[in-house]
Amino acid sequence: MSQPIDTESFTPSGSGVNASMLKVENVSKVYHNAGHELTVLSGANLSVDAGECCAIVGPSGSGKTTLLGLCAGLDQPSSGRISLAGNPLQSLDQDALAALRNQYVGFVFQSFQLLPTLTALENVLVPLELQGMRGGRKLAVESLERVGLGERINHYPTQLSGGEQQRVALARAFIHRPQILFADEPTGNLDSETSAPISDMLFELNRTAGTALVLVTHDNELAKRAGRVVKMRSGRIEGEERHG
Amino acid sequence: MDKPATSTPESGAPQPLPQGTFALMVHPWTWLMALRDSRKEWKRLLIFAASIVVGISALVTIHALRSSLEQGIDLQARALLGADLLITSREAFTDADREAIDALAEESSFEISFSSMLNFVDSGGARLVQVRGIEGAYPFYGEVLTEPDAAWRNHQARDGLLLEPALLEQFNASAGDQVKLGNASIEIIGTVQQPAPRSGRFAGFAPEVYLRASLLEATGLLTDRSIASFHAHLRLSEEMASAEVIEALRTRDGADLWRFETPESRRDQLGRVLDQFEQFLGLIALFSLILGAIGVASAMHAQIRRRRASIAILRCLGAPARASFAIYLIQAGLLGLVAAVAGGGLGVGIHFGVVYYFAETLPVLVEPMPNLWVVGQTTLAGFLACCGFAVLPLLQIRDIAPLQVLRQGGSTAQARRRALLRSLPVVAFLFVVMTLLSILNSTNLARSLVLTVGFAGVFGVLALVAWTFIALTRKLTTERLPYLLRQGISNCFRPQNQTMLFVLSLGLGVFLMLSTMLIRDLVLAQVQVSESEIGPNIYLVDVQSDQVDGVKALLEGNDLPVLESAPMVSMRVAEIKGVSIRELREQGLVGNRMVRREFRSSYRDHLNETETHLGGTWPPSDWDGNEPIPLSLEVEIAGDLGVELGDRMVIDVQGVPIEVEVQHLRAVDWSRFNLNFFMLFPPGVLEGAPGFTVVTTRIPPDETSGQLQRALVEAFPNVSAIDLTLLLETIRTILARVTQAIQLLSGFTLGAGCCILIGIFLNGRDQRIRESVLLRTLGASTRQLRSILCVEFGVLGLLAALTGGGLALVTYSALAHFAFELSPVFHIGQILLVLLASTVLSIFMGALFSRGVCAHSPLATLRQD
Repeated sequence: MSQPIDTESFTPSGSGVNASMLKVENVSKVYHNAGHELTVLSGANLSVDAGECCAIVGPSGSGKTTLLGLCAGLDQPSSGRISLAGNPLQSLDQDALAALRNQYVGFVFQSFQLLPTLTALENVLVPLELQGMRGGRKLAVESLERVGLGERINHYPTQLSGGEQQRVALARAFIHRPQILFADEPTGNLDSETSAPISDMLFELNRTAGTALVLVTHDNELAKRAGRVVKMRSGRIEGEERHG
Repeated sequence: MDKPATSTPESGAPQPLPQGTFALMVHPWTWLMALRDSRKEWKRLLIFAASIVVGISALVTIHALRSSLEQGIDLQARALLGADLLITSREAFTDADREAIDALAEESSFEISFSSMLNFVDSGGARLVQVRGIEGAYPFYGEVLTEPDAAWRNHQARDGLLLEPALLEQFNASAGDQVKLGNASIEIIGTVQQPAPRSGRFAGFAPEVYLRASLLEATGLLTDRSIASFHAHLRLSEEMASAEVIEALRTRDGADLWRFETPESRRDQLGRVLDQFEQFLGLIALFSLILGAIGVASAMHAQIRRRRASIAILRCLGAPARASFAIYLIQAGLLGLVAAVAGGGLGVGIHFGVVYYFAETLPVLVEPMPNLWVVGQTTLAGFLACCGFAVLPLLQIRDIAPLQVLRQGGSTAQARRRALLRSLPVVAFLFVVMTLLSILNSTNLARSLVLTVGFAGVFGVLALVAWTFIALTRKLTTERLPYLLRQGISNCFRPQNQTMLFVLSLGLGVFLMLSTMLIRDLVLAQVQVSESEIGPNIYLVDVQSDQVDGVKALLEGNDLPVLESAPMVSMRVAEIKGVSIRELREQGLVGNRMVRREFRSSYRDHLNETETHLGGTWPPSDWDGNEPIPLSLEVEIAGDLGVELGDRMVIDVQGVPIEVEVQHLRAVDWSRFNLNFFMLFPPGVLEGAPGFTVVTTRIPPDETSGQLQRALVEAFPNVSAIDLTLLLETIRTILARVTQAIQLLSGFTLGAGCCILIGIFLNGRDQRIRESVLLRTLGASTRQLRSILCVEFGVLGLLAALTGGGLALVTYSALAHFAFELSPVFHIGQILLVLLASTVLSIFMGALFSRGVCAHSPLATLRQD
């Protein structure tokens, strides 16, 4: 039987503002299918410091989501190295990667990705429960109140609107105080009226929690709010811009 | 925006989830998630669980009943025999025999039993009965219940007889009336409510009549030529073992022809007969269980399919891969537990019902409360089988990548290979569980293994046939078909439609029901053959040589034909090819039965229409009238005796040895109920030997044998009229009971199948709603939507019917040829009716569980998506 993973053995990247939270070095991803090779990411290099906001933009098929998945340890690169919070991902197995995500990473997805069988409160509680924290309920209720869903804590995802579901996802993403947050088109499924407060909440929570943010988006306005914009095309990082 | 939350978790340092599956299985979070995840699914899961409930209850019922019967037989073994030792002989015990028996027994009782006509003087009716003349205090164990209570105790002191209540009802007679048995007129002194243990192997086909043995002399029925059995019932002292008594008696002259029975041998014999039947029923119960377990596996498969996204999210949030596996394993376990408890409880309930309903058919008194150890054991086995099957779909959980939260993708070839490898230990576990279940059914390990492999084979063949039909249907769907038909058929092949499971479930039900029905009809048809116009239906037995002409005249006087008349002489085989039969038995070349077997042979110079010449010559052409005497042998018995054409034997014709030579072999169609014999002699040999004649006739179907029987009893009291119609009626009643039991168990399988069907219909309901809404948005009318659904359910039902029906026909043909050695008869109408019924059932259930599918608002549904 496997031993419990000692999450304390992960190397925190330090709390200094300039310490690198995410480091991507010459990373490529190639898919092999029926004898054909498809390179979706090629020689990507990226570094995100603790507390830094970074948006990744580019047209569909440019490799944004692939890069995000690799950075979060959801997939393995074909070549190159990635380190997250000082931990080289290639040396970790699936369960260690899961434990690493649970300790350092938060997620917000385009399609919300709430567990449909759990209420809003239970969804928010999951990261704490996975850490083995007891008595997280009060914290989860507070988190939901902060995103304006204090009255909807016992509702299931299907009983919530898209905007409300994304707010639950935000509460869940920050509940365990992650050091880095990956957001994949967080407003992609929402109309402009609903998406504005969600973006506000995302950046506000990110700012107050001091979390690094990696944001994948098509929305240039949203990307500009991140301050640093990495541009991708055809699986390559073409360059980056800094705003404000 | 408010300030960020400042609360912290209330207690201590975090305790990360353990990594091991077992540790996760007992972790509170895993249980919490399992319960949370199943909140909205219980209804759906429980419907599938109902299938395993049915399977487990079938298994519990049959094993609990088996155990109860075994227990009953064990407890009542002495009462089943009524004595510590029973000796049966076809010849009367001599005074010396009696003295020897008395000397060894603590107490003894003698009995003579034979068939005879009983004439009800007042009503003028007559009926063939089994007469049991008893001398002594038999039975020593168990009780004979009579009305009035003291009648059994008194019948040894009073001149009168006791009979079954049904006889009194049939002939409107009552206690105190006079009946005629042979030449004696005897008073009815009571009725027997619970009879004495039966001593004859084939007793039970005629009602029994009890009287004091000494009264039989006055009846004049006991002549040297009568077919009678003689029994000695012994009660032994505690110190005396029955084996010692048997040993001591076997050395007596003629005792090697005696049959000895002890409570243990009777228990074993009864146990063996019941065991075979129970094993067969156990097989059907196992089918139900496996089908139910497949139902649960399918429920878990569908559950995992629905939960792929949730599993990916959990992994993305940091849950170990094994955590999701543990969550769903707990769900499957809980489902199995609920089903096992419910199935066990239902099985106990059915046990109560069966004991109550079949009380009169069961050979021993059975306690209504089943053996709880057996119930627990069987329930546990069912639970393990359920869990084992459910684990198979759970293995795919490990391959659900967290990346699927970003991008959905199918499993890779490598993942599929990993899943296959991972499933091997589970398959091995299932094989062990199924073998254990088979061992519960039959204690023979080799047979159990064969059974388990056989099961896998049957399911494999079913799956293969189902797959073939499904593939054919898919190929045959062309654009030339009308749209509604094409759409309905295409629906059967939508992803996650569980078409294969549907066809397997309903197909297995159709297979069992149709094959049982066809085999029952085949057996019943054999019984009907004898009732055809050409065959005899009345046998007049014990006709003495000086009575033959009179009996024939009596038949003709009653406008009845004399179909056959054959003399019959009893004899035994003494030597085969110069070696005594006893030596051959000791060498293991012939069975014990052959030594004791009394052949009733005849003589004639021709073959009848039910006999087929196989070899040699008959009648013998160049026989000079001296020994060896030519003999015509039935081919099967020739095989049992190990003789061929030209071989010689010595036959003991009631003390007179004659040498014979096998000069002719023939096959006999015994199903025609004509007068046939294993050994046939040429005329001129047996005429002087003691024997009797059997005369057969046929009474038209709309008439009863009552008038003939009365006339016979008056003119020839010793002649017995065996009414084949009544005998066949008894066989039909027994067959009906057996069929009832088989169909009850097959009903379990069908029930399990139906539960799965309901589950499948409910699983696909959401998808059907989405499709209907889409079609409605594109302009489809309610009538068109319903037509599409009907086509879908009709095609599924037809596929299942063809799969199950096809296999049933193959199995039936094989059983008819190899097990029953008969030509299969196909009643096309009946087969089509079953196929139609299962298709209609599918359409009906589909329509029932798709109610409201067409009534959904397109906008609301599309918005949900």
